[in-house]
Amino acid sequence: MAKRVAIIASGGGLETAYKTFNIALAGAAMDAEVAIFFTFEGLPIVHKQGPSMLKLKPENEPMAEGFARTNVPPIDQLIQAAKESGIRLIACQMTVDALGWKADDFIDGVEFAGAATFLDYAMEAQVTLNF
Amino acid sequence: MNVQEIVAQADLVVDASGLGCPMPVVRAKKGIDTLQSGQIMVLKATDRGSLKDVPAWVQQTRHTLEEVVEGDGEYIFVVRKG
Repeated sequence: MAKRVAIIASGGGLETAYKTFNIALAGAAMDAEVAIFFTFEGLPIVHKQGPSMLKLKPENEPMAEGFARTNVPPIDQLIQAAKESGIRLIACQMTVDALGWKADDFIDGVEFAGAATFLDYAMEAQVTLNF
Repeated sequence: MNVQEIVAQADLVVDASGLGCPMPVVRAKKGIDTLQSGQIMVLKATDRGSLKDVPAWVQQTRHTLEEVVEGDGEYIFVVRKG
């Protein structure tokens, strides 16, 4: 069976985006299928204004300097790499509707679906993660 | 074999120097996808995690890690495409 990684990104802040894409990109590099379900506070990660909406939590602000020093790429580059790697980006339709956002508010390539779609994918995954 | 000789006989050199995790393995994957089976990719990285991560990446792919050279804060991985 093909290797498969299923990730839920539901946490807030820029740190959730980093954690999620770090593992997702490594998984894709290791020839695994990868899908990420963005829901609740994780939804802004795939919003077009994501880079300006996402901030580090105050207690993590000292990490910003460390990210720069260790050349951790900015989120838009990680998203671009994810798309090039064939990683599925699934926005939670329910959260989108609850926030009153529109499909056009999201970056190109995002799918819109619900819990059953994620679970249908995750049932066959060897690795499931929640950030 | 010294680093210059290794690089000279590579079919592809991927320079991930200066890039943080997980970019060395992301670049490695992108690079090796352009090669034919049996060809050699040399991957350069400075991320300290790559010393463990590149062997783990090889373990999960069908490639072979032929050699690792470490020095001056740089790691050179010689990978044969499977």
